Amino acid sequence: MPVPTKEEIIEIVKEHLMDNLEDMDEAEFDPDKSMKDMGANSLDIVEVVSCTMRDLKVKVPRAELSKLENVTQLVDLLHATALQKEEAA
Amino acid sequence: MTELVRVTSEEEGIAVITMADEANRNAFTAPFVDQLLGSLEEAAGDRDHRVILLQGLPDVWCAGAHQDLLLELAEGDLDAGDILLSKVLLDVPIPVIAAMEGHAVGGGLALALCCDVMIMARESRYGCSFMNMGFTPGMGITRLLGEAVGEYIAREMMFGGQMFRGSHFESWSGVNYVLRKEKVAWKALQLARRIAEKPRFALELLKGDLSIRRRQLFEETRTREAAMHRICFGRPETAERIRVSYTRPTREVADDS
Repeated sequence: MPVPTKEEIIEIVKEHLMDNLEDMDEAEFDPDKSMKDMGANSLDIVEVVSCTMRDLKVKVPRAELSKLENVTQLVDLLHATALQKEEAA
Repeated sequence: MTELVRVTSEEEGIAVITMADEANRNAFTAPFVDQLLGSLEEAAGDRDHRVILLQGLPDVWCAGAHQDLLLELAEGDLDAGDILLSKVLLDVPIPVIAAMEGHAVGGGLALALCCDVMIMARESRYGCSFMNMGFTPGMGITRLLGEAVGEYIAREMMFGGQMFRGSHFESWSGVNYVLRKEKVAWKALQLARRIAEKPRFALELLKGDLSIRRRQLFEETRTREAAMHRICFGRPETAERIRVSYTRPTREVADDS
């Protein structure tokens, strides 16, 4: 599987966020915001990130994830991790 | 000694046990488990009490085992304290209401399953995280979860390790109520008042009778769960999985301290 682009990863995050937050409207999604600002609680975020990592077949330690401030930073980290994984393969 | 769990009794017949370990997000640590066991004994031991309301923090009802405790288990220092918690709760002679405004995960969910009435919040999450960390569920959950949410959903939760929003259990599961978070405590108190009107001797008789099946289920499963744990915690990769995959709910209310 080729490494998805950042735009594709944003779509994956969005899909899982909307699946997990039943009241969320698609127009409310803003990658420059944190998931918390979009109405997610801490375990909502765990679920969204776990599902996204599963789709991308990457794993990032929780400690690194906890430093992130918004969806764009999450996407950057996941994209970089996926690229590293591909290079190592 | 820091007060992690407290018992209060503001209304006649109703004991309120509040799990309030802010720092550890109501995760099972040795002092927390000791205080919870002591609180259950205190609340049930007072013959004036006819019902127990078990509540947590607004955002976390109970987070299950603390990571340090799991790592101790994985390193071979097996502690049966959490198993004891299920048994003690199932043996409480009067009804216990789980008023779960906040999340309940892993052993925290097992704790709720040992109560007689469960009230969930639509927005909070409830799940079995055990397998995410590479070991099988414990505290009786392998048998008790299916009783509450149905066998197929229970299997999905145990195999997959996902944490569902309370709203997922609305309308079809065996959970008593799934309400907006701000209504949970109110509804729990209404139910407690209703139960507290009844005589204690009759409540004890009925509780004893209604608990037979769940106690049997728990007794049947505890040996098997312990045997599975010995295998899982004996695997060298389990400790690493616990280190990488352990999650607990973080603080969600404004910190004004």
